[in-house]
Amino acid sequence: MKIFSFLQLFAATFYLFLGSLVLIKNKKLMINKVFFVLCLTTTIWHFGASMSYSATTNAMANFWGKFSYLGICFIAASGYHFIVTLLNINKGKIKKFVIFSYIFSLCFLILLFFSKYFVTDDVFHYPWGNYPKPGPLFSIFTLEFVFLWLMCPFRLFKAYRNTTSPFEKNRLKILLVGFVSVSPALMDFLPEYGINYPPIGFFFCSIWLFSMAYAVVKYRLMDIRVAVTRTGIFVVVYSLVLGLPFAVAFWLKGWLIETFRASWWVLPLGLMAALATVGPFIYIYLQRKAEDRLLADQRRYQDILKQASIGMTRIRDLQRLLDLIAHIVTKTVRISYAGIYLFDAESGEYVLQVSRDKGRLPVPKLASSNPLINWLTLKPQPLIYDEIKLKSQDSSDLVDKQLEENMRLLTAAVVIPSFLEDRLLGFIVLGEKISGQIYTQEDLNVFQVLASQAALAIENAQFYEEAKKMQEQIAQAEKMATIGTMADGLSHQINNRLYALSLIAGDTIDTIKLTDTSKCTPEVREMIGHINHALERIQANVMQGGEVVRGLLKYSREGETGLEALDLHTILNNTLEMVQYKVKLSEIDIVRDFSPNIPKIKGNLTQLEEAFFNFIDNAYDAIVERRNLLKEEAYRGRITVSALPKDNHLEIVVEDNGMGVKEGDIKKVFTPFFTTKTSSQKGTGLGLYVIKRIITETHKGQVSFESDYKVGTRFIIELPIAQ
Amino acid sequence: MPKLLIVDDELDVREFAANFFRKRKVEVTTASGGEEALDILEKLKPQLVLLDIKMQGINGIETLRRIRANDKDLKVIMVTGKKPDEDGSLNICQQLGVLDYIHKPLELAELERVVMGALK
Repeated sequence: MKIFSFLQLFAATFYLFLGSLVLIKNKKLMINKVFFVLCLTTTIWHFGASMSYSATTNAMANFWGKFSYLGICFIAASGYHFIVTLLNINKGKIKKFVIFSYIFSLCFLILLFFSKYFVTDDVFHYPWGNYPKPGPLFSIFTLEFVFLWLMCPFRLFKAYRNTTSPFEKNRLKILLVGFVSVSPALMDFLPEYGINYPPIGFFFCSIWLFSMAYAVVKYRLMDIRVAVTRTGIFVVVYSLVLGLPFAVAFWLKGWLIETFRASWWVLPLGLMAALATVGPFIYIYLQRKAEDRLLADQRRYQDILKQASIGMTRIRDLQRLLDLIAHIVTKTVRISYAGIYLFDAESGEYVLQVSRDKGRLPVPKLASSNPLINWLTLKPQPLIYDEIKLKSQDSSDLVDKQLEENMRLLTAAVVIPSFLEDRLLGFIVLGEKISGQIYTQEDLNVFQVLASQAALAIENAQFYEEAKKMQEQIAQAEKMATIGTMADGLSHQINNRLYALSLIAGDTIDTIKLTDTSKCTPEVREMIGHINHALERIQANVMQGGEVVRGLLKYSREGETGLEALDLHTILNNTLEMVQYKVKLSEIDIVRDFSPNIPKIKGNLTQLEEAFFNFIDNAYDAIVERRNLLKEEAYRGRITVSALPKDNHLEIVVEDNGMGVKEGDIKKVFTPFFTTKTSSQKGTGLGLYVIKRIITETHKGQVSFESDYKVGTRFIIELPIAQ
Repeated sequence: MPKLLIVDDELDVREFAANFFRKRKVEVTTASGGEEALDILEKLKPQLVLLDIKMQGINGIETLRRIRANDKDLKVIMVTGKKPDEDGSLNICQQLGVLDYIHKPLELAELERVVMGALK
């Protein structure tokens, strides 16, 4: 078997494999089908040629030669068909032209089998194999072939000039390089004209078909410079590895046999083994060197980004951190646009925090239900717009279309999700690079590192801000506690003043009463009447002041910790007495929905009063919030306290028709320092925490919580019944 | 005439309370603190003492204790500006024996009822 037979057979197998691979990847797509046809035609060509080279008789050589033309006839037509399909321009005139070229090829196929005008029955004998002799019409075919062939890079080049997308440009460049690199294969026509030129087209065809397959199957393509460099280095290194031992064996055979006699082949074989071992290292070394030079700019900003990622976690001010990330990314990578969206727990949306752009209006926020968010949550991978666009064109999947649409709205070239564990904290939106280059896989890797470091830093900054807020709340709570203890001393002072006032007023009223004013003039009597009235008012006010101080004292009282049998009515009465200084009881209805002879609770009065104080206080705040926010007509706040004995405990339900709590906040309600109350009347965030401790720790009871936003809240409290 | 001793460190309280009860045919003496009250008690022998708890110097409870050291039967009404039964003073006063325990502020009519009731 001739060496070229073997190589051609090997190439034919490779094409068939490549074509099948692409077809299997997506059988429905036209482009994949056309590519398979293209591979099939080249396979037939090479298979036929392979058999022809090694044929022992002229008849066989001619038969297989003609067989190879069965494929060759259609290569140019299917190649052109492939390009126009890929460029999405297979319609109208161009489509007609494609059909025409197929018919033209078919004509030559008929000529091939039924005449000698295209290919004769004669055969050329070259040292490397046999070749069928062409007929008189062969040149027409060659011209048609070359013409169609040149149309392909022409179409590609035109499309390349029309597109602005760096991604599309890169893809077209890869295809163009493929078509340029295959042109030496046209030289395989030379032997048809009697020129002894070895048919090495298979080598170029392999590169060409491989690059086509790559561009069809893969959405994220290598930077063209990298691709070409890698292929070039690969070819050079492996030509050397395989070629050098052959060359040694070929040219130095005589000398080798003379020196080493029968085992002359040991040297070339050893050389081959040695080269094959060092080959990969040389390849990797050269590749790295070449790419360092080629991608010097990228490497530079990738390094900066990595450095920045590390330093980021030290920044505590969230806004500054986000500004910095946006700045670093846009300045070092030179990107036209950058925006950072962060999850806002309160609204459940992803809100734009920072935006660096030139005169475009960014999308201010995305809902959690947005397809883009869903996608990022499911597949924590960067998204590239051009890729998604191609995918959405290729598939009928609605998700891809929605994704494409949303990315278009964001004017995003790339979206990089930022995860903390499995929580999507936010994402970075990047526009095109100013240089017009594509985002490479390496870029995306670096961005991903940046995004995950950013997630940590953001979490850090958010935590720091929360801690700061919490500290403020603790300070506030401490202040409240101080006021509580001060109330003790204060109340004594106030009571002393009030006592003196009541005595002064009371005694003077008494004196007036005991004094005979009958001899006074009517004016004086009237004046005395006024004074008396004024003093009575002073007395009444003093008594009211005394009540206020008493309420304050009850609230600040450090109660005993013992448990006693308590009536729910008493607890509620005492609580309402305390709470009236804070809550306008006239504005709401307080409904008691329990029997007057309900069993007594085993509990601590002071603590239960405090717990109920908090329940009613919270309910009232929720009612006020609903009234202010929803502004419903005929809305009136209502707090219902109901109770029913169950087994050995009393189940008390405190229910209000206030604002309710958002679903996301329900879990956090009992956490200390968590407050949903608006800033105008900010709570300490301690109320429900205190309640929980009182009910579960002191009373060994239970408290749970149900709430519907904009409907109301229910607290269910279980307290032991006194035996 | 029944004798009443009002012990309070507030000048206004002494003046107006005294005035009020004098009009009700009560011989009122006032003291501005515990020590002064104890001094007066020896000679005065009042039927009733109206004793404020929180005072400068020796406070009401200490004064009561010293009174009880000599006289187990003297009627004493304690007046407090504090919240009810705080620091167990109510308890101590009850053990030492007091006629009543009243909270500031209170209406004069109420004070009259308590005091005049005790003096009868």
